[in-house]
Amino acid sequence: MMTGVAEDEEKWLAAGIAGLQQNAFYMHRAMDSNNLRDALKYSAQMLSELRTSKLSPHKYYELYMRAFDELRKLEIFFKEEARRGCSIVDLYELVQHAGNILPRLYLLCTVGSVYIKSKEAPAKDILKDLVEMCRGIQHPLRGLFLRSYLSQVSRDKLPDIGSEYEGDADTIMDAMEFVLQNFTEMNKLWVRMQHQGPAREKEKREKERSELRDLVGKNLHVLSQIEGVDLELYKETVLPRVLEQVVNCKDDIAQYYLMDCIIQVFPDEYHLQTLEILLGVFPQLQPSVDIKTVLSQLMERLSNYAAISAEALPEFLQVEAFSKLNNAIGKVIEAQADMPVFGAVTLYSSLLKFSLHVHPDRLDYADQVLGSCVKQLSGRGKIEDSKATKQIVALLSAPIEKYNNVVTALKLSNYPRVMEYLDNETNKVMATVVIQSVMKNNTHITTVDKVEALFELIKGLIKDLERTAYDELDEDDFKEEQNSVARLIQMLHNDDPEEMFKIICTVRKHILTGGPKRLPFTVPPLVFSSLKLVRQLQGQEENPFGDEAATTPKKIFQLLNQIIEALSNVPAPDLALRLYLQCAEAANDCELEPVAYEFFTQAYILYEEEISDSKAQITAIHLIIGTLQRMHVFGVENRDTLTHKTTGYSAKLLKKPDQCKAVYACSHLFWVDDQDNMKDGERALLCLKRALRIANAAQQMSNVTRGSAGSVTLFVEILNKYLYFFEKGNPQITVAAIQSLIELITTEMQSDTTTPDSTADAFFASTLRYIQFQKQKGGAVGEKYGPIKV
Amino acid sequence: MVLVLALGDLHIPHRAPDLPAKFKSMLVPGKIQHIICTGNLCIKEVHDYLKTLCPDLHITRGEYDEDARYPETKTITIGQFKLGLCHGHQVIPWGDLDSLAMLQRQLDVDILVTGHTHQFTAYKHEGGVVINPGSATGAHSSITYDVNPSFVLMDIDGLRVVVYVYELIDGEVKVDKIDFKKTTATTAH
Amino acid sequence: MNFLIGAFKPPCNVSIIFADGRTRKQVPLKKDNGQIIMVPLFQSQESIIGEVVIEPLQGKKLEHTGVKIELLGQIELYFDRGNFYDFTSLVRELDVPGELYERKTYRFEFSTVEMPYESYNGVNVRLRYILKVTIGRNIVSNIAECQDFVVRNYTPLPSINNSIKMEVGIEDCLHIEFEYSKNKYHLKDVIIGKIYFLLVRIKIKTMELEIRRRESTGSGPNTYVETETLAKYELMDGAPVRGESIPVRLFLSPYELTPTYRNINNKFSVKYYLNLVLVDEEDRRYFKQQEITVYRLLETP
Repeated sequence: MMTGVAEDEEKWLAAGIAGLQQNAFYMHRAMDSNNLRDALKYSAQMLSELRTSKLSPHKYYELYMRAFDELRKLEIFFKEEARRGCSIVDLYELVQHAGNILPRLYLLCTVGSVYIKSKEAPAKDILKDLVEMCRGIQHPLRGLFLRSYLSQVSRDKLPDIGSEYEGDADTIMDAMEFVLQNFTEMNKLWVRMQHQGPAREKEKREKERSELRDLVGKNLHVLSQIEGVDLELYKETVLPRVLEQVVNCKDDIAQYYLMDCIIQVFPDEYHLQTLEILLGVFPQLQPSVDIKTVLSQLMERLSNYAAISAEALPEFLQVEAFSKLNNAIGKVIEAQADMPVFGAVTLYSSLLKFSLHVHPDRLDYADQVLGSCVKQLSGRGKIEDSKATKQIVALLSAPIEKYNNVVTALKLSNYPRVMEYLDNETNKVMATVVIQSVMKNNTHITTVDKVEALFELIKGLIKDLERTAYDELDEDDFKEEQNSVARLIQMLHNDDPEEMFKIICTVRKHILTGGPKRLPFTVPPLVFSSLKLVRQLQGQEENPFGDEAATTPKKIFQLLNQIIEALSNVPAPDLALRLYLQCAEAANDCELEPVAYEFFTQAYILYEEEISDSKAQITAIHLIIGTLQRMHVFGVENRDTLTHKTTGYSAKLLKKPDQCKAVYACSHLFWVDDQDNMKDGERALLCLKRALRIANAAQQMSNVTRGSAGSVTLFVEILNKYLYFFEKGNPQITVAAIQSLIELITTEMQSDTTTPDSTADAFFASTLRYIQFQKQKGGAVGEKYGPIKV
Repeated sequence: MVLVLALGDLHIPHRAPDLPAKFKSMLVPGKIQHIICTGNLCIKEVHDYLKTLCPDLHITRGEYDEDARYPETKTITIGQFKLGLCHGHQVIPWGDLDSLAMLQRQLDVDILVTGHTHQFTAYKHEGGVVINPGSATGAHSSITYDVNPSFVLMDIDGLRVVVYVYELIDGEVKVDKIDFKKTTATTAH
Repeated sequence: MNFLIGAFKPPCNVSIIFADGRTRKQVPLKKDNGQIIMVPLFQSQESIIGEVVIEPLQGKKLEHTGVKIELLGQIELYFDRGNFYDFTSLVRELDVPGELYERKTYRFEFSTVEMPYESYNGVNVRLRYILKVTIGRNIVSNIAECQDFVVRNYTPLPSINNSIKMEVGIEDCLHIEFEYSKNKYHLKDVIIGKIYFLLVRIKIKTMELEIRRRESTGSGPNTYVETETLAKYELMDGAPVRGESIPVRLFLSPYELTPTYRNINNKFSVKYYLNLVLVDEEDRRYFKQQEITVYRLLETP
């Protein structure tokens, strides 16, 4: 019947307000007629409404605020009474005649406020009396509100230094003492709420308590506002007193809130100078207090403080803030045996951030934090708690974010040790963070040591960790991860070939552990890295006096051969073939014929044995022809072997048009325009003729299968090849041959059986237009084209 | 006025980690109407990135592209111009202008854009244009030494096309401009 | 028999006038009929001086057997109705037997009168002082006229005034220690004290301090005791915990107290007690009573 309770409460509040308003009305009337006695009587009756026990804090506050407003008016009336000659001392006594304590004390505080203003007695005496008398209210809720009222009316009347109520030499102590006492009492009342009422309403009570906490915390705020409380006083009196209360109250809600409050309301400079005292308290707090949040807050504040005020930095060193925090965290963890891993890690994460901000130059501090963290984690196995994992990621990300340079993180010896405790998934996430940092900051990793360290960090991506179930992996995620590794490999670079070679060897060592799923991602970047190194070495004269161990292209090619072989074993024949061809071309550039030949051989083996898809074959054959066309290193024999095989492959493609295209492309293997020893016009022509035969066969096949001739496109293509070699000066290509080809195409196109093909028409038209164009060019070209009729 | 971005041979992540940051900051979404990419991106992430710059994206297949669905050639008509797109490894000898001219005739296009050599080129040829935007990442190439990252921006306006070449040389972006005018109206029937 | 009053209307007016009547302090006094009148205030050892004026009614002769004035201190016990115990009785003869034709004034003086007891108007007992003029007559009844006055006696500050301190409790339930700074209080005094809670195992709701007056009259088996609660003063609201101390500050001035009277003329006593009452949530009351001595402080102007 929750609604019933709420409704009743509304009713009670309404009744309370009504009673309050009625008495306030009579009180106003009495005040208007300067009738002190009645004013007191009705004000006491009015305040009696606050004696209720039926309202929740929330509703009680509503009632209190109305009473508060009325009390402001009453205070003005008291002031006027005093001006009219009524002795304020008498008034102070008079209100104490009220029989009920709660109205009596509200009135006393109100008159007390006027009393202080009158300066007829020292503020400290009156305040002391008020705060003492308020002890009469032991009911938590009513007591808290009464003392809150006292705090409110006295805020501007403290005998602070520089205040008009300043007293004798000890004035600050008096002001401070007053606030401290009120704070202490309020906290006691607040804590006591927890222990009153039935156990089943614990949750409700905690909620109600949290609604009231700012009433208590307000006192700390007031303390922080006292001008006279300097660092010395804060250190010697305020802080120890407040902390004493915090520790002694043994209440987790209060301890958490107040510690947080202290950190928030007092200046960072004070915290820094009282770090030892403040930190000393944490291990004494209740085990259930969320210390990590509070302590993290403190460290964050100090970090920010250091960031904003550079002049404070020497102070940080002087007070040894870092080691104090580090010690404190250790003690807290020790004291709170039940603290989850997540808590400990959060603390170290905050400490690390602190250390990075305040002592960016002290990498040893950061490593120390990580080391402490490892100590905490050891013996716990992999962390399963997702919150803890999140915190470890935050912890590990901090140095990377701070330095924007993974190289710095690589110097932290404890860094990979912390990563050990991450589950596989998170380990990967962290590895990705590392890689992203490298990429984002364009960090170049330049030594083998660093590469080793880096691979240690990202090993979650490099190889299968224990207990990884492949079926659980998301294909896209995996791709993304491996692509990021591929990117990373680009960043491992040193201009010194020796070091670079070592780097390559190191990378190779690691990626070969990755298994067949990873190699297709990791091998290509390593191959190209190596080829870059080859390119770099290729220009250099070999040092005849160089030692045996020096890096040479040959050595690299050896390595490349092995790496690509590993890839072909995956199997990934398409990719491996491409890489072999790349290597062959590089070997060609290095004038290493046997090496180039070996790579070609490997590519051919793959082509013959592994590449079976017709489309893949077409691409592969084009790449083979394209590459071979560029090779100049081969002697006649080797070249013949290779070109022979290539033309053979070309003619064996699945579809006629593809055969045709590949075969006419092979013509370029025999006639290389810029190589004088490679101008075998006859064999080039043979290729074209062979292509023509295949085109014919295709045309006929088309007739058989579809009852109509296929497109003439192939003929036009071959015509273009004829024109190409004709133009290049291949003596085997004659005008007559071109002329007959043109006629053949024209006839075919006019044939009824030919399928109309506008693309082919356009192709042919533009080819003819080209011939026309060349004819009109004049000069040698024009002359050459002259005899061709179109 | 239509802006067409032409680029290719990024070879991410095999040969380059990413597009140069300088290029990335120049290429902002909303400025470009069409992207034509000759191929070799090579991975989906790059495709997705290009898509964010401009949704009208045309790609042909490079030999390293993981996506096998890209066509070998493609033609697009933009304004008065017909553009042909092909990666170029199919055209032998690689990068040979006369062989590319044959492709241009075959596709019957005003502008032929190809890649593969990683060498930026732009030729007027038989009343048309043959462009190679080079490698946008400056990827290593067996064909071209010392590759600088480059891409091409075509400003197509009526019968005129201005080709801007952006090249990253020693960390600085250099821009070149080549003007082409089409003499006859489009060859489309 | 009201109609007879006129018939037996005394043949003269008698009035008693105090010599310092204009300047002497007057205090209120509740008469038998409930009416409050103002009467002069004296203290012991003062001289009571004045005049008695007898004024026969117009044209009437007043024959008398003598005129006297008495100063009487009386204790009246209500259960012993009609009996007055005069603890003080002084007489001054004002006139010898004779006749009065006209207004005559007599001076009287009681010098340095011993008036040890204070006027008191209690539940069962009254102590009063009167001046009584009697005109003796033959055959017809004497003519008597009374004038009340009030006596209050002042005490200097006591030289010894110990605090009241006591630890009380119910075993394993409640232990408190209370302390009142004095055991003797003057009428305008303030009770200052502190209550310490040493053990609290009951759920206390509130704590009050009561001032109780205990009036006992008679003696032996005929002792009558009347207790009145003059003040109920809330000291605490809510349940304290162990270690709390609650301040006490009670101003006595708003309450109509008298000094403590001990065995006045063997007839009565008036005593005062502080009663500390704790009420628990089930409205059970726990209390401890302590006598205090109330006195009238000699005011030093």
